[in-house]
Amino acid sequence: MELKELMTALPALMSVSGYEKASDRELYELVGEHFDECFTDALNNHFFVKRSGKENAPKILIDSHYDEIGMIVTRISDDGFVSVAPIGGVDTRILQSGEVIIYGKEKVYGVIGSTPPHLAQPGDADKLKSMEELYIDTGIPGEELREIVRLGSPVGFKPVYTELLNDRICGKSFDDKACAASVLHAVMNTPREELVGDVYVMLSSQEEVGLRGARVGGFGIYPDYALVLDVTFAYTPDTEIRKDVCLESGVCITLSPITDRRLTRMAIDMCREREIKYTLEAAPKGTGTNANVMGITREGIPTALASIPIKSMHSPSELLSMEDARSLADFTVGFITSTEIAEVFGK
Amino acid sequence: MMYNGKELIRELALAFGPSGCEDEVRELIKSQIEGACDELYCDRAGNLIAVVHGQGIDYDLAVNSPDRRPDRVMICAHMDEVGFMITDVTDAGYLKFGTVGGIDPRVLCGRPVCVGDENSRVSGVITSKAIHLQSKEERGKSTPISKMYIDIGAKDGEDAKKYADIGFFGTFVSDFVSFGKDGKYMKGKALDDRCGCALMIELMRAIKDKPFDRSFDLYFAFTRCEEIGISGATVAANSIQPSTAIILESTAVADIAGVDKSRRVAELGEGGAISLADRSTIYDMAIVDFALGVAEKYGIKCQVKKYVSGGNDAGNVQRCAAGVTPLALSMPTRYLHSASNVASYDDYIAMRELVEAMLRDWRFYK
Repeated sequence: MELKELMTALPALMSVSGYEKASDRELYELVGEHFDECFTDALNNHFFVKRSGKENAPKILIDSHYDEIGMIVTRISDDGFVSVAPIGGVDTRILQSGEVIIYGKEKVYGVIGSTPPHLAQPGDADKLKSMEELYIDTGIPGEELREIVRLGSPVGFKPVYTELLNDRICGKSFDDKACAASVLHAVMNTPREELVGDVYVMLSSQEEVGLRGARVGGFGIYPDYALVLDVTFAYTPDTEIRKDVCLESGVCITLSPITDRRLTRMAIDMCREREIKYTLEAAPKGTGTNANVMGITREGIPTALASIPIKSMHSPSELLSMEDARSLADFTVGFITSTEIAEVFGK
Repeated sequence: MMYNGKELIRELALAFGPSGCEDEVRELIKSQIEGACDELYCDRAGNLIAVVHGQGIDYDLAVNSPDRRPDRVMICAHMDEVGFMITDVTDAGYLKFGTVGGIDPRVLCGRPVCVGDENSRVSGVITSKAIHLQSKEERGKSTPISKMYIDIGAKDGEDAKKYADIGFFGTFVSDFVSFGKDGKYMKGKALDDRCGCALMIELMRAIKDKPFDRSFDLYFAFTRCEEIGISGATVAANSIQPSTAIILESTAVADIAGVDKSRRVAELGEGGAISLADRSTIYDMAIVDFALGVAEKYGIKCQVKKYVSGGNDAGNVQRCAAGVTPLALSMPTRYLHSASNVASYDDYIAMRELVEAMLRDWRFYK
């Protein structure tokens, strides 16, 4: 399977934080055959294991979160309008006239409504509606809708996907499914003999609501060392992001107080040796990713963090470069086949 | 390929036609009305005009009398849609834009668009700063259009200019979706006013298939630039000089959650909405009553707009030539001027039936 195919297939699977279990079968069907074992734990972390076949092989965990921001149904009106509350950091600027899918007994399509212009007051255009003031228009009478959708049904953005110039693509939940696709692709395509350890790919849950899944997932597996993959902000002219962290700048490796310094340095060396494009990023306050919890799991897990830069994070139009996704896949391959790293951090 | 009903609306809605660049819509319409009219021409302002002559004894009398031309009735809908125009290409390769027609800035962020002209298009997306990077002051406020940009994936300004430059047009990219109970609702961009265009196409075909006597020539005007208020319909009406004009439009409805019944303009599913007065026109009650009477006589759903607001081509048309009597019949549409217009296919059918019934019964009006 091509990497791009996986990049578009994963965002189409429902995985609003807390509801990641809903798509476990589809996920197993999509990539399961390439792994020795797939399972899902109590917090909906999905695991895909590929063994090296070596005795006393080290355990390597590669984490990419699988959950995505979304909404949850809080009220269904008699005329079929649905009120929702956010799950994770939903950007309210992108909601009006957006298209969503409510995951009830069946999928229900809806449009997020907006106020008609004749009811607008002067100055209204500057104000953003809060989530409580918005509703989803389903076109189904309330009584009938309540048979299909319940309070608590998750709501996700309708998958969209656009190919832009220069092998750049745009779609929803590339945070963090672009990474999930890259790591699955990398591990799937690495011959067993080349693995320096047993590889546990963890598509973790509930990252968007506070790094909840990785905490228990890391505890359960307790690997010898770990790599966390996530997205980072690409430079755009309206931000203060460094200009050299941008699309096509390659893998972004984070240096932080919580990530393992030696493992990170070895990962950087590996990039140089294998000619993988990379930049460095400093996170003095910690990382805001699963690396924060992975590093302090059980007696501590040596963890490195690598990201790819994307634009418009948490919108239905997240934008990235396929070149960076390929760099991340190469980086992952390097990480799980590096004998140098295994010698230091393996058993 | 000939399209009918919902398919026809879909094809028209998907066509690229911001005010000023309606070529693709016009070509599509031309292909759909081939053989359904007696004359077809494009006026110098770019409106597409199709003429269907009258027939029957009264019509022949009018044609042959030395001092009388047959009466002319104009039906019009606008081809254009709201969209964007590129105002600048930055060194970094982003496209700055202004809106063509009124678009609420709050429906723009994150929407896929396409940019180009009548020859070539490129995909893009309207973006602005990620939520995490917004300052406290920026949160909870809408982003002004001056701070948004279209990202087409260009590496830099030079790269971008190969595909899009200052003055290029853009529209939303939004697929056509049937949804709601029994799939009756339609969602898409530019349902305003491609539903009107579709109705005119189907009406012409219906008259061709099942002709009836009528003493007047019918002028179908597919007009330009309604959304920017510089009405192509004015040009059409000035040259056609009809006695009466039926303007097929879209109206906001506000039949939605959180809006008090007293402030609702119309309801989806209750048929076409007839205007009594709006900010552009005070309508002639004789034709309003004729339309309502025909609806009642044939049991066709129809409603009146319950809110004096907005305006459309009727105002321009009314003050054309020596004066024209306009009737505005609008498709109730939610979320106008966004990527996700929502309207009911049932209303479309009801409007189509009503206009055809009015033409058949025209002798009771005049």
